[in-house]
Amino acid sequence: MEKEINIRRIAKLARLHVEEDEIERFERDMGAVVSMVEKLPDFEDNRIPLDEKDAMPFREDEVKPSMERARVLQNAPKTEAGCIVVPKIVE
Amino acid sequence: MELYEYSALELQKLLKAKKCSATELTQSVFARIDTVEPKLEAYITLTKDNALKQAAKIDDKFSKGENAGALAGIPIGIKDNICTDGVLTTCGSKILYNFVPPYDATVIEKLKAAGAVFTGKLNMDEFAMGSSCENSYYKKTHNPHDILRVPGGSSGGSAAAVAAGEAVLALGSDTGGSIRQPAALCGVVGLKPTYSTVSRYGLVAFASSLDQIGSFGRTVGDAALLYDAIKGYDSLDATSAAREYFNIADKLDGNVKGLKIGIPAEYFGEGVDSEIKLMVLKAAKELENLGAQLINISLPSTDYALSAYYIIACAEASSNLARFDGVKYGYRAENYENLVDMYERSRSEGFGTEVKRRIMLGTFVLSSGYYDAYYKKAKLTQNRIAAEFTAAFKECDIILTPTSPVTAFKIGDRFDDPLAMYAADICTVPVNIAGLPAVSLPCGKLSGLPVGMQLIGSKFSEQTILNAGFAYERSCGEYGNVAKI
Repeated sequence: MEKEINIRRIAKLARLHVEEDEIERFERDMGAVVSMVEKLPDFEDNRIPLDEKDAMPFREDEVKPSMERARVLQNAPKTEAGCIVVPKIVE
Repeated sequence: MELYEYSALELQKLLKAKKCSATELTQSVFARIDTVEPKLEAYITLTKDNALKQAAKIDDKFSKGENAGALAGIPIGIKDNICTDGVLTTCGSKILYNFVPPYDATVIEKLKAAGAVFTGKLNMDEFAMGSSCENSYYKKTHNPHDILRVPGGSSGGSAAAVAAGEAVLALGSDTGGSIRQPAALCGVVGLKPTYSTVSRYGLVAFASSLDQIGSFGRTVGDAALLYDAIKGYDSLDATSAAREYFNIADKLDGNVKGLKIGIPAEYFGEGVDSEIKLMVLKAAKELENLGAQLINISLPSTDYALSAYYIIACAEASSNLARFDGVKYGYRAENYENLVDMYERSRSEGFGTEVKRRIMLGTFVLSSGYYDAYYKKAKLTQNRIAAEFTAAFKECDIILTPTSPVTAFKIGDRFDDPLAMYAADICTVPVNIAGLPAVSLPCGKLSGLPVGMQLIGSKFSEQTILNAGFAYERSCGEYGNVAKI
């Protein structure tokens, strides 16, 4: 098992920005947790497979009143014309 | 005795007999808050004006002889990861510094219908990640029994407020011990219900397969009373259990004759302070004197629970916290070059160190190439731990363990050492892994610091564990008093 934890790659996946001086500390902290985890034995997989007939009940597809737009948008950092303003995505 | 010192059950009698009004009770609690809050810092947001309005409405109903609800007039604090319509909800994080939910969590709706009076939003470790309340962006809460020490976490504000009389009852949440451990450190009762019995709609998610909202009180009866008000099926929570729910608070009789109590060797090992072990075993003996039977049992995979927990919880957290991106709500960075940069900067500037650490760990274990080695392994460990509890409950009715391996440690002692901090959860985490109910109740003090014992039950057996706790409390508990500060 590869022991090296690539902090920069994980940070990219997690959409987190990690400063240069934080990388070493993250490597150390996560390495310690990974060592803790590597001690787990290989337990047999005897989990009961999900039963299709015992599925979670779905609700009916009914149209019901939802929340008013103004309330939904009240926490948005920047809004315009009833929409949330974000950086340009499509060129 | 001041009004804020009484238990909820006692206050219900006083209110009914018109010995006090809901308004007087609310004023008493807020006067107490004024006195001790500068030392304790349990609250992020206080809602005094609203509380007095709620109390006035309750008094009006009382005067007209109307039914005002099962918790009418009782001042209750709410952990700040539970959505309250119109009231700031921060989860102890900078990233939600300005988030005012446009809706109430289901438990809040239920408490409003029950006539509860809300005192405010209580401090917590950021996004419920922590065992000391030191990870809050806003403030560090102090233990009412020794203000240089932590109250525990993540529901540290809830535990401290109830212990100090700054609330009669409080809601917390528990993913790996976050109700029970602070309850133990602050000398109050904390109940984590069976997974699925309390709706998670409106609880800001940390680890969706482990999170549960639960109750704090200074007595077992109080914790039961609050649980009765919040439990129940909710169609808005896909994991909510559709079954019959029965009230517990009015059925506690303290009869434990013939009750089989399992004492698992693995919870009384090296990792737990020896004086705590002695105190908890002494409490077990008390229950034996009251007619229960102590049985030695073994839960062999206990040692693996912490590792399995951190994998599963961090994996789920990395997914749940992906929604905090600066787009629709919460903190958005001021300077960014493009969308991805906006995500990275908003999240990095908005999240604290422990949250980032856990998101990174969760992302790592779910990433391709590592999924089988870590996440799948953890799920199989979880399966094994749950199976061991099921087997144990064939030999006994409840299981008794210490709640916390240590009493309250000093603020700053464990802050820089993640593994030392995680070790505070060794006795509580297996319970969340198996989805079981458990209650922590005070069973003594060491050098003035509270010690808690944990009673674990099989699924949906809240009545059994609470009744055993009530039996102990009735026999030995002078622990329901408000802490002297």
